[in-house]
Amino acid sequence: MALSDQPRKFSFYGQGGTLFGMHLVNLFLGLVTLGLYFFWGRVKIRKYLWGQMEFEGDRFSYHGTGKETLLGWLKAMLFFGIPYLAAGKLPQLLGADKILIVVGALFSALLFLLFIPMAVIGSRRYRLSRTSWRGIRFSFRESWKHYFGLFIAGNILIVLTLGLFTPFYSARRDKFLISNSFVGNQNFEYDGKGGDLFGSYALALILAIPTLFLSMLWYHVKRTVYLWGHTSIAGARFQSTVTFGGMFKLYLVNFLMVLFTLGFAYPWAQVRAIRYTLDHLTLNGPVDLDAIQQDAQAVTATGEELASFLELDFDLG
Amino acid sequence: MDRLKTTWEGHYLDGQTSASKKAEIHPLAAGLSVRLEDGGRFLWSYEEIQQIQGRYEGEPVRLERGGDSGEALIIQDTDLLTAMRELSPAAASRFHDPGFRGTRKWLTFYAAIATVVVGLSLYHWGIPFLANLIAPRVPISWEKGLGKSELDIMAPAEKRILDARLNRVLGQILSRLAATVPHCPYRFEVTVVDLPIVNAFALPGGSILVYRELLETTQTPEELAGVLAHEMQHVLKRHTTKRLIQDSSTALLISALSGDATGSAAFALQSAGKLALLEYSREEEEEADREGMKMILAAGINPQGMIRFFRTIEGKGKEPEFLKFISTHPATADRIQKLKAIVAATPNAPAPRALLPGTDWKALIRETRRLK
Repeated sequence: MALSDQPRKFSFYGQGGTLFGMHLVNLFLGLVTLGLYFFWGRVKIRKYLWGQMEFEGDRFSYHGTGKETLLGWLKAMLFFGIPYLAAGKLPQLLGADKILIVVGALFSALLFLLFIPMAVIGSRRYRLSRTSWRGIRFSFRESWKHYFGLFIAGNILIVLTLGLFTPFYSARRDKFLISNSFVGNQNFEYDGKGGDLFGSYALALILAIPTLFLSMLWYHVKRTVYLWGHTSIAGARFQSTVTFGGMFKLYLVNFLMVLFTLGFAYPWAQVRAIRYTLDHLTLNGPVDLDAIQQDAQAVTATGEELASFLELDFDLG
Repeated sequence: MDRLKTTWEGHYLDGQTSASKKAEIHPLAAGLSVRLEDGGRFLWSYEEIQQIQGRYEGEPVRLERGGDSGEALIIQDTDLLTAMRELSPAAASRFHDPGFRGTRKWLTFYAAIATVVVGLSLYHWGIPFLANLIAPRVPISWEKGLGKSELDIMAPAEKRILDARLNRVLGQILSRLAATVPHCPYRFEVTVVDLPIVNAFALPGGSILVYRELLETTQTPEELAGVLAHEMQHVLKRHTTKRLIQDSSTALLISALSGDATGSAAFALQSAGKLALLEYSREEEEEADREGMKMILAAGINPQGMIRFFRTIEGKGKEPEFLKFISTHPATADRIQKLKAIVAATPNAPAPRALLPGTDWKALIRETRRLK
């Protein structure tokens, strides 16, 4: 059974109604605790969503806690949120000279640029380390410092090339994010190249306005399929069978649902989106799923590394 | 539900590798007795077991032992939970009662109703109360800072009318009005902007913005005094500061309702920067009218000026009757009625003294225009 060649499937059992109920209770408890409960509420929802995702008969688990989420938020506010707002707004508030206002705004902008790579890596590391399948924890084993250079250089090039560099940057970024992600002692691998998608990207850009941006959705689908198709673990490759038609229908129905219910249908939209993605995802190839080992070092180290200082849980997607 | 069932089938994960083993689970009074397919046996006492999953429809029960050890038992049938709860009432609180799911639905429904009630109360009473509490405690220096930035935006240097004589005259009117306020914490000043708009704005901190065409619409200094008194009241009653607090709090509430705990703080403070779009509530406009008129009377200025100016505005066809309910500005006819009532109700006001004796107001305004 362990080394079969059958495609291994993902499933999602979540229900929009249950999620909606959770959001309601979160809202209520959040309001009466003046917002404090939101951190615990968010963990509860994540635990539910993770627990409704299944791979090869076993569900995923989320191990985050409300306390960690709250602490992460406090750290972010203390080291970024408050300095960012202070530098940006205080000079104006205190009626300081124009020079100070400009300096403050520049400082805010720099802080923001520093913050994004830290937050992207920090939140990925946090979420992976709090995710497990069959009891084996995931992890991310690189520091945000090694991402920072790529992030800055990449974005500068994107601006200079009026966006044409984007597929190349995406490939490098995806490689960094994917190849440093582990489940237990097994790492994921990515062998995608920016050049493969450049043609499609350029075409999508050119046709963006005439097709009312539908070409961008087409590119997004192409990229999703490419990304999964070039991600592998222990020699087995992922495969996504999403299609433009399927995604278009999904987004359209979701959009109309949420619009006509003034946002109430959002949990159902969320469930539909996750289900669509997972129903169309498989892992192909002979891989011994029983042979993944827990990497105890990774589990405890997350609390001790200096890099984990900014281990935060952000909804940066 | 088969009450006679004593063993359940499931599988076991040892937390060291991803390999799973079939297991037979037999609940006892003290804990779970487990026999694995490879012959291994062990007992988990209820105190060391945590239920991680299995509280929702379709979710298999996942029981874990110890902290992060990763050892887990997964069972499809939630009846096991019921059996565990029955066998050890002391440990029952650790495990989910599948029968609770119905009650949970009702509790969720009540929570929804309570949320609406709490949300609306906060919006309607809580936030205004908070604003009234905080606004008087905001330092005047902060207000001045905000006002100065806004002034720079709304009255760019090249658009300001700088006429020494006009400024002196405006200063005289302001002093006469401000003298009626004991221990006035604000130093008022007027900036005239050369634009064909009939309007005036009060900025936090004491700065008042008046547009040229409003000046030209006034026939006498008493009319302008009425407008200035109204604007001064907006400043004195801290309406702008209250607006800022309310708008930020409302933004915070909305962010909370949409479930965004991380961004709410930043968003709330960001909306505090949207001074230019601030509008006063109807109550605040009425208060400014009322207190402004009282200020006029106390300063010994002829109140007919203020009333006449409102008539002129009304004559310019500001808004049709049916908009009265939607607009935050009370209809002009109503405002005039109220102003007249205050005058009638204040027979003991000091006798009106001429505001600027010896000054030809219309000529003054005309000359200022020509200078530009």
